[in-house]
This record gives sequence, C-alpha cells and structure tokens, in this order.
Amino acid sequence: MTPLRKSFQERLEELERDLNFMCNVGIETVEKTRRAFLTQDFELARQIIDGDDELDGFVIQIEEKGVEILALQAPVAIDLRRVFVMLRIATHIERVGDLCVNICKVLLSLKGARISPEVREKMSEMFKRAIEMLRRSLESFRVRDASLMEGLNKMDDKVDRINRAFLAGVNGGDREEVETTVRILMIARFVERIADHAVDIGEDVKYMITGRFVE
Amino acid sequence: MQVDELSASSMCELMQGLECRLCVQNLSVYYGEFKALEDVNLMIPCKRITAFIGPSGCGKSTLLRCFNRMNDLVPGSRVEGSILLDGVDIYSEKYDLTELRRKVGMVFQKPNPFPKSVYDNVAYGPKIAGIKKKSVLDEIVERSLRRAALWDEVKDKIYSSALSLSGGQQQRLCIARVLAVEPEIILLDEPCSALDPIATQRIEDLLVELAGKYTIIIVTHNMQQAARISHFTAFMMIEKQGDPGRIIEFDETSRIFTNPENEKTERYITGRFG
Repeated sequence: MTPLRKSFQERLEELERDLNFMCNVGIETVEKTRRAFLTQDFELARQIIDGDDELDGFVIQIEEKGVEILALQAPVAIDLRRVFVMLRIATHIERVGDLCVNICKVLLSLKGARISPEVREKMSEMFKRAIEMLRRSLESFRVRDASLMEGLNKMDDKVDRINRAFLAGVNGGDREEVETTVRILMIARFVERIADHAVDIGEDVKYMITGRFVE
Repeated sequence: MQVDELSASSMCELMQGLECRLCVQNLSVYYGEFKALEDVNLMIPCKRITAFIGPSGCGKSTLLRCFNRMNDLVPGSRVEGSILLDGVDIYSEKYDLTELRRKVGMVFQKPNPFPKSVYDNVAYGPKIAGIKKKSVLDEIVERSLRRAALWDEVKDKIYSSALSLSGGQQQRLCIARVLAVEPEIILLDEPCSALDPIATQRIEDLLVELAGKYTIIIVTHNMQQAARISHFTAFMMIEKQGDPGRIIEFDETSRIFTNPENEKTERYITGRFG
C-alpha cells in the first residue's frame, strides 16, 4: 500500500475509533436513563438532558470527518460502504440520545406519581432488551460479523409486544392516574424506538458487510 | 460478475435485453512469443459506454486495439479466438478491413489532428470514402463538429490550422473526425490523459451524449472517470510480470464501484494493491 493510501486507511480507523467512543457513550446514556427511571432519580435525569450536547458534538465531528474523507479520498467499494455506514450509525446513536432526553423529560413530569411494580418490571425488561440489541448491533459492526444480528428482529418483536402490553393495561382511573399512564406509554414508546434504531444499525452493518441492502 | 462466471448465459443476463452486436470469444493475443491477453470473453452493449480499467500492462489497450485490428500493424502479433461484429468474425480472412475501420473509429491518448485546417481534418474521411461534392462535405463537417460540441468554438476559424486549437479542442476535433465517417463503435484510449480538468469534463459530457447514438469503449486509468461516465466496467489485471492480461470482473459500473464480487477488483479500486 502506498503511503498516501496508508494515511487514508489511518483516517478511516480514526473515524471508526471516534464512532466507537460515541457508541459507548450512547449505550451508557441508555443505561443511565433506565437507572433514572427505575430509581426515580430526577437529578440523574437532569444530567442526562444536559449531557445530550456531548452526543450532538460527537455526531458533528464524525460527520465532518466523514464528509472530508468522501470529498478528498473518493472511497469506493468496502471503503465507501464503511464511511457511509459509520455516518448512519452516528446519526442513529444521536437519535437514541434524543430519545433518552425525551424519556428523562417525561420522567421529570412523573415526580410524585405512583408507578406500580409491574410497570417498573415491564419497563426494566424493555430497557434491558433495547440495550442488549444496541450492544449486539454495534458489536457486529466492530467485529464485522453479520451473524450477530440474527435474532435481532425477534428481540425487537418482544420489545414491541411489551410496548403493546402497556396499552392493553390501560383501564381508566382518575385524572392523575390517566396522566401517569399516558406518560408511561410515552416512555415505553421511546424505548421501543431505541430498539428500532438497534435494528436499523444491524441492517446498515449487514449492508456494509455484504453490499446488499436489507430491510 | 467474476471471470469464472463470464459464460455466455450469465453475460446475456447481465445485459438484460440490451442489444449487443460486438462479442469477444475466447480471445488471446500474442506479440511474438509473449502472450499479452488470455481467454477474454465479453459482450459489449450497443449505445452504452464500456470502460476497461486495470493496472498498466494488463492488456487494456491491447484488447481495445483488437476491435479495429490495430494490433495487426504490430510485427509478430497474432490473435486466437474471435471478435464477432454482427455475427461475423472481424478476424476472418474475408472481412473488409477498410469497412471495419469505418465502422470502428478510434481516438488516441494524445490529440493527433492532421497538420491541416479544421475543415480538412473532418472532411478527410468522407473524401477518402469518395464524397467530392463541396455542399455535402460542408454539411458533414458542420454536423460532425456540432456532434463533437466544437462547432460554436471553431465556426469562425474553420479554415485555420487545426494545430492552433487548444489540446481539449484538438481532442474533440479528433472525435469529430471519427464521427464524420458515421461509425457505429468509437474506441477511446485514455482520451483525457493529456487534458486539463475542464477539457476533460467537456470530453466526458460529450461521450455521455454520444452514448445515445454510438457504442463507446474507453480505456482509462482514471477510475473516477470510469465511474462517472461508463455503464459497464471490465477490470483487467495480470497475476505477475510476464503473465497474460485477463478480465477479472465485468459488471455494471455502479456495482463494480460499490460492491465488486472479486477481491482483486476491490483491492485495485480501493488502492490496496502494492
């Protein structure tokens, strides 16, 4: 490989390092959000809302580097797919961060509300699965192993089922109870969206590895 | 499509109903003892641009020059296999070479206008073909220069020396000279390598426009050029010095540059060779 091409590969590696760092921060944010919900830690929720700028900053940095590589190096084939997918993953993780912020904002409005142990348990399960899905899709990117994505859709179905179960459990009550229920439903929907991003990342990684778009 | 899959049926599938009047079958080319090309099988789609890419010495120009039998001029050269144009082997003894060269025009790396006027350069071929009437020649010259996107720039100096034109204009004049004899196929061997980016862009625009009417085959070292203008791309290479060139992969250009099947193609286009 020529020195110029070597430096190009080094820049791709650097971009991937930045992305991996961002992904770790993203997963950590979802874990913190789960903890904030389960322990009703409103201070932690505020920290997560304030900390979102960090993920936004990462995505801008990654986009700038990625666009520069596209413009100056005109990558093709696997290099092109790698840059393209890295930019997409960064956007997914940024949106995961936004969803965590949304969850925390709703959580703050639940101050003083009673959340039943069943709801806590179901939400914890949803969070756990969404986090596991994110970990798995990002690991498949790191090790370039499309087989890790197998089962991702099944896990997503389970998350969807729990989300629907929240809706099925709605049966009226006084105004305060209805408001709490609506907020819980919103949080469940946001967690479900996080799981959807994990599925999308998995599909992007599959494209990077095989060169074929899958849905 | 990788070389071991370049069978007639898979090639037809790749062409997806496109008309193909030029077909290379088991072609090998020798310069004396040296085998420059081995076992090339290819179908060239009509009214499309097909690009040959690959490292220096892989046989791209040799293959290109087979289509109008330019290699015949190299002492000691010989070919095995066949190239069918409308089903007739252009290497068969009875094939009319003058007719072949009329049907298959060629543009070279360096612009090579005759040291004559712009008009005479374009009128040269038709005159050789027997057209003498001035009004007919005038019409051919204007039409060819217009098709080559050069008319507006030279219409006021049509009787000036072609050598007074810029490099980019000279190259378009050479294309106009080819168009004047109404070819069906245009071969271009690195036509932009001696031109600046603006002149290159003009030629590329012109080729894309001409592709609606002519079958174009271009050899280029500029992979971005192949990616920009061609519809199909053949990647060629040699295993090691002294080995014959072979086609490693032939496919739609969009596929070659996003998801090539062969690892060698990928290594070449991503710059991982060497």
